[in-house]
Amino acid sequence: MSAPVSSTATEALREDTPVEKPPRGTPWWANQRVGLLLLVVLLSALFGVLRPAFFNQQLVVFPLLRDIAMFTVVGLAQLCVLSIGHMNLAVGRMAAFSMMITGISYDLWHFTLYSGLLVGLVAGTAIGALAGWVIARTGVNSFVVTLALDFLLLGMIPLVYTSLTENAAFVTKPPGMRELRNFSLADVCIGNVCGSPAVPQLAIFAVIAMAVVGWIYARTRLGRELLMTGSSVRAAELSGIPTARRVIIAHAMSGCLAALAGFMLAVSTGSIKATIGEEFMLPSFLGPILGGTLLAGGFVSIWGTLLGTALTTVIRKGLDLLGVGLESLNIYLGLILLAALSTDRIRTLLSDRQAVASSSPPPPPKAAGSQEGER
Amino acid sequence: MTLAPAGAALRRTALCLAAVALVATGCTTKPADSTSDGGPKDDASTGSSSGPVTLKDGSQVKLALIPGGAHPYFQPWKATAEVDKADFKLGDVTFNETGEWDQGKQNNVINSLAAQGYNAFGIFGVSPTDINSTFEDLKAKGFAVGSLASCPAGDTNSADFCLSTDVEAAAYKAAKATIEAIGGEGAIVHLTGNNVDSNTQRRIAGVKKAVAETNGKVTELPVITDIDKDLSTAQKAVADLLASKGKDIKGIVTTAYNPAVAAADGVASSKLPIKVVAIDDDAKILSGIKSGGVAATVTQNPVGQAYVGGWLLALLQSKQCTMKTPGVVVDSGSFVVTKDNVDTYDDERKAKTKELETEFAKQLSCQ
Repeated sequence: MSAPVSSTATEALREDTPVEKPPRGTPWWANQRVGLLLLVVLLSALFGVLRPAFFNQQLVVFPLLRDIAMFTVVGLAQLCVLSIGHMNLAVGRMAAFSMMITGISYDLWHFTLYSGLLVGLVAGTAIGALAGWVIARTGVNSFVVTLALDFLLLGMIPLVYTSLTENAAFVTKPPGMRELRNFSLADVCIGNVCGSPAVPQLAIFAVIAMAVVGWIYARTRLGRELLMTGSSVRAAELSGIPTARRVIIAHAMSGCLAALAGFMLAVSTGSIKATIGEEFMLPSFLGPILGGTLLAGGFVSIWGTLLGTALTTVIRKGLDLLGVGLESLNIYLGLILLAALSTDRIRTLLSDRQAVASSSPPPPPKAAGSQEGER
Repeated sequence: MTLAPAGAALRRTALCLAAVALVATGCTTKPADSTSDGGPKDDASTGSSSGPVTLKDGSQVKLALIPGGAHPYFQPWKATAEVDKADFKLGDVTFNETGEWDQGKQNNVINSLAAQGYNAFGIFGVSPTDINSTFEDLKAKGFAVGSLASCPAGDTNSADFCLSTDVEAAAYKAAKATIEAIGGEGAIVHLTGNNVDSNTQRRIAGVKKAVAETNGKVTELPVITDIDKDLSTAQKAVADLLASKGKDIKGIVTTAYNPAVAAADGVASSKLPIKVVAIDDDAKILSGIKSGGVAATVTQNPVGQAYVGGWLLALLQSKQCTMKTPGVVVDSGSFVVTKDNVDTYDDERKAKTKELETEFAKQLSCQ
C-alpha cells in the first residue's frame, strides 16, 4: 500500500506496456493531440474559406462550442471507465436517469437550478456506483452489466415520465435555465471589458469537468491507481490497490459526468425529457478514442477528448454549412474522419522513422505498434 | 501508461488551445445598453420592404422548411417549397431533413441555415417540449418562424403561428372509422410511434375518446407504441400481435406511418378478417384501400402546410404583415379516405388548403 511499492509497480508496468509515448527527442508534430489540434484548426479554416458564415459568432461558433462542451463531458464520462479498461454502455441512460431525478426535483419539489443539478449529480454518481459495485462484486464484464443496466433504465424511465408528466417531459424551467442556455461570456464583464459573445457560459461546466478529471488523473494517487487498475488488475492488486473500490469509483465518476452532460443537454435544448442521452453512446467513445485514450485502459487524455470531440463536431458543422444532404452527410463524415486518422498514423510512422534514423540502437519493435493496445 | 510523460505536451497543447480560442473568439467591449439576445442581429436578419396586403416583394425572403428528420410524410414539402419560390417569387428556398430526429442536431441545422442567410423558417420540431426554446431563439434574432405539422406541447406556441394536423382529432377520426368498419363491436388495437412524445400521447387520447364513446361495446387492447422507428420494427410487432392475438382482434387503428404499412401488409398476408385503418396516403396504402385490404386511411395535408406556411412566412418576414395573435394554432385538416372517395379526396384537401389561406388572412394585420 505504501507509495514506494506503488511507484515501483508503476515503473514495472510502464516497461511492460505495449503502448509507447513518442520517444524523447520526437518532433513536436508527432504528438497525437497536436495533430488533432492542427486538424481542427485546418478544417475550421477550410470550412471558413468555403463558407465565411462558419465564423458567424452567434449562429455558428456559439452553438458549436456549446456542442463541443457537452460532448466533451460525455467523452469524459466514458474516459473514466475506459481508464480502468471498462466500458459504460449506459452512459446516455445514466444521463436520462439523473435528469429524471433533477426534473422531479424541479417539477415536484420546486428546487432551484443548481440544487436540482446537485441532486442529478448525486443520482448519476449513485447509479454509476451501483454499476461499478455489481461489476466488482460479480466479476461480470462491464459491457454486459452496463448493457443490462441500460435496458433496465430504458424500460423504467418512460414509465416514470408517463406517470408523472402529461407530455413525457418535465417542462418546469427554474429561474436561470433560460439565461444559462443563451448567455455567453459577453454577459460576463469586468468593468467595461466583457468576454466573447461566441463562448457560451455553458462551456464553463466542461472546463470545470476537464480541470477536475485532469487533476484527478494527473495529480492524485487515486488517478494513478485507476490507471494502474486499467493497465493490469493483477499488478494493481499486488501493489496493494483496492481494485474493487477503484472500479466502483471509476463508474461513479462516469455516472456523475453523464449526469452533468445530461444537464447541459437539457439546458441547451430546453426541457428535461425521457430521450435525453439517446445520442450519447457513440460520441462518448469517439472523443476519447480519437484523442488517444485507450480502450484497454491504462492511459487517458483529457485534452485529447476535447480535441477528438471538437474534430467530429467541426466536421459535422462544416458539412451542415456546405449544405451536404442527408444521404451523403454521414459518408463525408466517415471519410473525413478516416482521412484525418490516416494522416495521424502517417505522422506517427514518419516520426518513428525519424527516431530510428537518428538513434541507435533502434526502438523496440512494438514502438510503432497499435495505439489501441492488444491486451 | 500514466500522464506524466505527456505533461509537457499537454501544457503546450493547453497553451496552443487557449491562444487559438482567444484569437478565434476575442473579447468585446460592453455597449451602452447591451442585451444578451434581444433584437435583430447579424447578417441574417433582412427584409424591410413594405407594401400592400398581398405579397409584393418576396425577393428578400429566404425560406427554409425543416422537418425533424427524413420521413416519407415530409417529401411533399420539398416540391412545395419550389412551388412557393415560383408562386411568391422568393429569394431562395431550401428543404433540409438532416436533423436526424434529434433536437440538438435540428437546432444546429437551423442555426447553420440562419448563418447562410435564410430568414423564414417552417419547422417541424423534433421535441414538442423543447421546440419553443428554439422558436424563441429565432424570434429574438428577428426571423419569421412557423411551427409546421406539429405544435409545441403545452398551451404556449412561441412561433408566429402553428399550422398542423390536430393529431388528437385525426386519431379520433381514425378510431371512429375503425369502429365503423368493424360494425361497432369488438376489440381494437392501436399501433403508434414514440411513447415519450407528446403527440403520441395526444393520439392515444384521441383513440381512447372514440372507444369510450361506444360505452363498452368496443374494447381497446393495450396500445403498442415505439414501432415507428423503421418498417422492420413495425413488421415484427405486427407479426407478433397477429400471432398472439390475431383471432381476438377485429380492428387495427394505426396513427403512425410504418405501423400503418406493416399492419396493412401483415393482415393481408395472414388472411385474418381484421379491418385496418391506416394513416397518410402512401401508394401502398392507397392500393390497399382500392383492393379492400385497408378499410380506411386518415390523410393529412403536408402540401397545404408547406404552401400556406411558406406564403405566411414570406408575408411576415417581408414585414408586410404581422399576426394579430402571435402563436395562433390552425388545424391543417385530416381527411378520412375510404374506397368510396379514394379517387376524389385530394380535391377535398385542395379545397381545405384554399380555406386555410382565407382563415389565416383574417389572422393577419397588414400594412
